[in-house]
Amino acid sequence: MNENILELRNISKSFGETKALNNVDFYLRKGTIHGLLGENGAGKTSLMNIISGLYQPDRGTINIHSRKINKLTPEIAYSLGIGMVHQEFRLIDSFTIEDNLKLSKANIFNKNFDDAYKKYSDIFSLNTDKKRIIADLSVGEKQKIEIMKLIFNNSDIMLLDEPTAVLTPQETEQLKIALQKLAIEDEKTIVIITHKLKEIKEFTEALFVMKNGEMVSKFIDSKSTSTKELVEMMMGEATTYTVKKDNIRSEIKLKVENVSLKDPMTNIKILEDINFEIQGGEILGIAGVSGNGQVELANLISGINKIYEGKVLIKNEDVTGEGVKSRKKLNFAYIPENRLGVGLAPGVSVIDNSVVREYFKTKTALHLSKSKTNKYLNNLVDKFSIKSGNPKAEISTLSGGNMQKLLMGRELTINPEVILASQPTRGLDVNSVDKIHQLLVEQRNNGTAILLISEDLDELFKLSNRLLVIFEGKIIQSFETGEMDISKVGLAMAGING
Amino acid sequence: MGNFFLSKKQNVSELSTFYSFLIGFVIALMIGTIILIIQEKNPLETFSLMFRLSLGSVNSFTSSLNKAVPLILAGLGISIINSVKFWNIGAEGQIFFGAIAVNYIYINTQVTNSTMLIFVLLISGFVGGAICILIPAITKVFFGVNEIITTLLTNYIAIGITIYLINGPWKDPGSLNFPAAEYIGEEVYLPTIFGKLSFGFIVCITFTVIAFYLKNKSIFGYELRIAGGSELTAIYAGINAKQKAFIAMLIGGGFAGLAGGIELLGQTHRLSTGISQGFGYTAIIVAAITGMRPIGIFLVGCLFGALSIGGSVIQTVGVSTYIADIIQASTLMGALISQFFFNYEIKRKENA
Repeated sequence: MNENILELRNISKSFGETKALNNVDFYLRKGTIHGLLGENGAGKTSLMNIISGLYQPDRGTINIHSRKINKLTPEIAYSLGIGMVHQEFRLIDSFTIEDNLKLSKANIFNKNFDDAYKKYSDIFSLNTDKKRIIADLSVGEKQKIEIMKLIFNNSDIMLLDEPTAVLTPQETEQLKIALQKLAIEDEKTIVIITHKLKEIKEFTEALFVMKNGEMVSKFIDSKSTSTKELVEMMMGEATTYTVKKDNIRSEIKLKVENVSLKDPMTNIKILEDINFEIQGGEILGIAGVSGNGQVELANLISGINKIYEGKVLIKNEDVTGEGVKSRKKLNFAYIPENRLGVGLAPGVSVIDNSVVREYFKTKTALHLSKSKTNKYLNNLVDKFSIKSGNPKAEISTLSGGNMQKLLMGRELTINPEVILASQPTRGLDVNSVDKIHQLLVEQRNNGTAILLISEDLDELFKLSNRLLVIFEGKIIQSFETGEMDISKVGLAMAGING
Repeated sequence: MGNFFLSKKQNVSELSTFYSFLIGFVIALMIGTIILIIQEKNPLETFSLMFRLSLGSVNSFTSSLNKAVPLILAGLGISIINSVKFWNIGAEGQIFFGAIAVNYIYINTQVTNSTMLIFVLLISGFVGGAICILIPAITKVFFGVNEIITTLLTNYIAIGITIYLINGPWKDPGSLNFPAAEYIGEEVYLPTIFGKLSFGFIVCITFTVIAFYLKNKSIFGYELRIAGGSELTAIYAGINAKQKAFIAMLIGGGFAGLAGGIELLGQTHRLSTGISQGFGYTAIIVAAITGMRPIGIFLVGCLFGALSIGGSVIQTVGVSTYIADIIQASTLMGALISQFFFNYEIKRKENA
């Protein structure tokens, strides 16, 4: 029987009102490959940040090598052999492989570097000279160097955040073999953090599953658990919501026809043959793991990107290739994913940001009327219960929830006929999420057509009449009202059409 | 420092820029005092002499205001361009281009009515400044070339062209050791309105009001602010960010060009390298101290005009004229540092 090399019990951590982790248990066996599974926002990153000493838990105990650690700082975590590979690489691009591997004081292979380099290059199937510059390497090679860096720095507990995200299928297979060798031969303890189901079962021996800040499954056997069971654990019970359908009006308000988009530099397809239509009084949800083409789709529907194949029609008017103004005229409202930076201009005052959509309507002669803009803002503040102090203060002094309410309010106060809402509740506290859901439902009940792009399945199931799943730029599956099934949607998000 | 971080303050007083200017100015006077003591001069006497010679009589007071005109106009131009968060380091060159344009039109014009001609010449100055910034504007807005470098480089080009013109085609045969173009006729001298106070000061007040309206009130100014905050937000709002930024740069260059025109018509009466004594650079200080506020630029411009006059006359008692430059520059340093503490607070990290 193997001992627990690391043991976390009853860990809780809150940020303001948001509970990131709630009574979480997590433990690792020496020489074992573990998987930590969960959706975005489930608490995986917070947990890893606690293990690597970046966050201090509010409650709970941490034992490493059977020793109780009262205060785990990054330095202590490091000295206890905890190392992490982040999704964004932390290599020095202009240095050679050798320099990067030798960089740390903790490096244990300074004397016999060449032997060690040869040994681990073989394990990782890395065929490259130690004198090569990092910038010249492929992404897969960089990934291997990152993991090797942990070994060279004597990390026994290796936390790998989404290690397969950037790898080709062949590289993924090589990584799997390498990690298994490390676990057996070097007795390394490995954690793979991911929201992908595809490889996790093959990679790991034991699995932990998180959902909404809680650990819903602990140390379950990877091989004997089915993908379907995992999806249910990740997404929760398959609940059915009743969605009002009687207010659907037959006229089609938004139509996307055969839309495709290629990256002009690499020629890689970002969107492929997207087709859908939305009627008045209907919410169409688009589910998908972020980075599968959602941002690009939103940009071309809203008129920010004008160059693509296919057609976009709003209220039966062809607006393909036209800009934002054409959409505004047709009462189209857009709530962009990027709140601060697209929807709101950072460094600019609250009042200026509040009239971005309709600033032409608050003018007198050639200038903005102070009284009219103030009235406009006060109206938004009242109607959408926004907590805002000085209207001349910079927008970023508002909380995330209040920023989003201001942005939503600004877009909704014109009574739009078509709304595109992209990740409208990401990163918000529970109360703000409720308020924003209410607003969207109100609009829907008034006969507005809404396209809701989201990663949050709870949200999509609660609000959508119909659901499309986007995967690698394609609509991989669509679900009508009665057929929405959370585990099927989850599988489709992972690229498995069931 | 690891356990501390900077946090932006929620409620910053609207007067914070003014307070930080005052703090900066006091710090600058202290630095000036120290330097004067090191030089074994009496600081109190020197400062009071500077004060008397720049503001103590009608004559010196109006000279100070005249001196302020190019600082204010160029500063306003810089502040308009800064609405989109671009920096114009080229006001100096734009001042020269404005003067060159005025001289060119003056030589080649058919207009005979002198009031009309002055009006045409002032417009030429504005256009000259805009032409000077044209290439930096195109390269910045459409190709993303760093405008700080390109506008700075146009300064050398503008001064080079000026030197060529006053040594070549426009050379006044009478100017031997100090090359310059021929004097303009008295009929186009800017009139004085009160003592020595030039009509240029009236133009300056007018343009301060224009800049204030443009930046703070107009739809155009609003669009510039949004574009300056985030180009993506501007596109999202349907604002043609590139076009607006381009126009703002030309207008800003025009303001500085007008300053050059006024200097030529009202002060030097001939084109030479003496058209600007670094006004374009001092204007950057003026604009930065005031946080790019037009009214503030007007007031600080007047103060800096007085400082320059004071600085240039204290040479007569053996104090270097650079004491005025040191005070101007350290005011900026002090103001920027205290502005920082008005806007941010240093907090301790939780859990650390």
